[in-house]
Amino acid sequence: MRAILLAAAIVSMAFPASAQDKGAGKSTYDKTCALCHATGLAGAPKFGNKADWAPRLKVGAAKLYASALKGTANGMPGKGGNLTLSDGDVKAAVDYLVASVGGAKSAATPVAAAAAKPSPAEAPKVASAAPVAVVAAPVALRAAAAAPGAAATGAADPNAFNRLLAAPGKRNAPPAEDGIHDPANPGTHALQPPLTALGGMPALAAGNRVNWVSSLEGGRITPRWDRDDAGAAAVVMDLNIVREVKGSMPDVVYPHKQHTEWLDCSNCHPQIFIPQKGANQISMASIMLGQKCGVCHGKVAFPVSECRLCHSKKKEGAGPAAAVAGARK
Amino acid sequence: MRANRSRAALVALALAALLPGPATGEYGDVVLNRRSEAEGVRPVVFPHWFHRIRFRCKVCHSELGFRMRAGSNVVTMKEIADGKFCGMCHNGQVAWAADRCDLCHSGRAGLRSGIQGGHETLGPGHW
Ligand code: HEC
Ligand code: HEC
Ligand code: HEC
Ligand code: HEC
Ligand code: HEC
Ligand code: HEC
Ligand code: HEC
Repeated sequence: MRAILLAAAIVSMAFPASAQDKGAGKSTYDKTCALCHATGLAGAPKFGNKADWAPRLKVGAAKLYASALKGTANGMPGKGGNLTLSDGDVKAAVDYLVASVGGAKSAATPVAAAAAKPSPAEAPKVASAAPVAVVAAPVALRAAAAAPGAAATGAADPNAFNRLLAAPGKRNAPPAEDGIHDPANPGTHALQPPLTALGGMPALAAGNRVNWVSSLEGGRITPRWDRDDAGAAAVVMDLNIVREVKGSMPDVVYPHKQHTEWLDCSNCHPQIFIPQKGANQISMASIMLGQKCGVCHGKVAFPVSECRLCHSKKKEGAGPAAAVAGARK
Repeated sequence: MRANRSRAALVALALAALLPGPATGEYGDVVLNRRSEAEGVRPVVFPHWFHRIRFRCKVCHSELGFRMRAGSNVVTMKEIADGKFCGMCHNGQVAWAADRCDLCHSGRAGLRSGIQGGHETLGPGHW
């Protein structure tokens, strides 16, 4: 848990006091706001998602500016947590968010006269520009972050023992109930439920809840290396790269072996990583932003919350507390 | 580390994000909806977990040329029928053919292209 907090703290440090180009709403958004608003993290209204924004647009630009500057009780931190941003930067970022759901015209008006209050007549216009979409918004599920545990356990008890931990039955939900497949589509019911496919494989706490590395090593799965030739063998290279980590976290061991079981050299070299030890700047912040190891980890390969799988090398002279349970089973 | 309130809030939020949230597809599901809905069909849901049981990443992302970036492959049905993209396998030989529309076009209306399923790093990946 502490480790996770640490990672979270690192993420928050990804947005230091840097001089930002003034007025560039997109740049402020990319650097500070995207962390939450790109994915709907913690229930943030998603960039470009009309259903998320429509009810908020109704209250008018002034209220949105105020929420963005001062924060809200429901999780929007003042200035997105980066207090070094100027008010103008934050407002420009709000305009950028609003424009993403078609509120561009009315958003532009308040920017042009940031000081002048938007005329009340404009607010309804914004609302009509972005009517509540009839479509089911998958993020709406996330927006219920206030009590996801309750939703997961079916109880409304705010002090439920596992508030956020998904109940086993809610993991690997079948397509018709997973929130992204349309249950009205006949094909949806013909698809394989993840639990049927993944159920018997070695477990992991997160992601698909499957340890893909040991599933492959143990022969539980035999994915082809070639589309047509089931007998083609992977070109595996066994070369570990140790990346020393400042501070108390164990060092990172990057194993070529497990990667080349799945991937071709050209999937990583030279675009993601220059093939030279130490030539690449990697940090947790860049990983969280989907760069470097975060191109795959956190999306398809095991997620970032499994710190120990990457931070697997105990430091010289570190106490037993820092001992690592071993990345491999 | 300065203990200011908004940073604490940010930390708490980022922490919340690392915990499993409510179901939003299986980890690794990718929605492809550049054109589908605009053309009147449901968005496409591509399940990574299902395919990686059968193929290594290299097959699609190196051999077959899928770019490893959600939303960056511009796919049309004509190309699929011509044996490109999904059609390199969904051709009635490696896997069932492209006439099974509803197996691929199975997403809810309004989904945006991108990775789904409780991902933890932001996408599309960039480098
Ligand atoms: C740590 C996550 C996080 C970051 C970073 C963040 N937001 Fe938010 N934001 C939220 C959440 C959660 C909500 C929903 C809060 C609510 O409903 O009160 C929200 C809501 C908003 C709203 C709507 C407020 C309302 O009154 O309806 C605006 C506007 C907004 N954010 C702008 C921004 C801008 C601009 C930035 C970057 C400078 C930013 N946010 C960064 C989490 C975040
Ligand atoms: C490398 C070959 C390959 C490619 C490329 C490929 N598929 Fe598949 N796909 C398969 C195979 C093999 C199956 C399993 C067929 C079976 O069960 O008979 C499958 C099954 C599926 C299924 C059904 C999963 C289930 O639950 O049964 C879906 C949906 C699907 N593919 C979508 C796609 C989409 C969308 C694309 C393109 C973005 C794509 N596939 C590209 C090989 C491929
Ligand atoms: C998953 C991504 C990935 C794949 C796939 C991959 N590598 Fe690497 N490679 C890395 C990383 C990360 C480093 C370390 C770079 C650093 O330390 O800055 C590295 C480093 C290297 C180095 C430098 C070693 C040194 O001691 O300086 C070589 C050589 C190399 N890789 C060759 C290959 C070859 C050959 C393949 C295919 C068989 C391959 N890599 C596949 C990620 C990858
Ligand atoms: C191109 C995609 C890609 C990139 C980039 C990538 N990985 Fe991986 N990694 C994988 C896949 C796929 C696996 C197999 C396990 C899985 O999917 O969960 C894996 C497995 C691993 C494992 C093995 C865990 C075990 O159980 O043995 C470690 C450690 C790891 N990655 C660390 C890293 C680090 C550190 C980086 C960045 C320097 C990195 N990876 C970059 C795709 C990637
Ligand atoms: C996919 C592999 C991977 C996972 C999972 C991972 N890390 Fe890292 N971490 C790295 C790499 C690579 C570095 C950069 C090491 C270097 O400086 O070369 C790093 C660096 C760090 C640093 C040093 C500061 C920085 O940002 O560079 C800390 C602290 C850290 N990680 C904490 C964590 C925590 C806590 C978790 C679990 C929530 C975690 N990491 C999960 C790969 C990973
Ligand atoms: C193997 C999976 C697969 C099957 C089967 C499939 N599609 Fe698609 N289809 C796709 C993908 C992937 C796209 C691109 C999605 C996007 O970006 O919007 C697409 C796009 C489309 C589009 C919009 C682009 C264009 O070409 O006009 C239409 C319309 C469409 N499909 C209709 C159909 C119909 C009708 C069928 C059944 C005859 C069908 N599809 C079967 C995967 C599939
Ligand atoms: C059957 C083909 C297939 C296989 C096998 C496959 N992928 Fe993919 N991958 C895709 C498709 C299709 C997309 C979506 C591309 C798009 O949206 O344009 C994708 C997208 C991605 C993305 C981009 C996600 C984002 O948010 O930008 C990553 C990362 C990725 N794949 C990694 C992997 C890894 C790692 C493996 C092996 C464990 C793998 N893929 C195996 C077809 C495949």
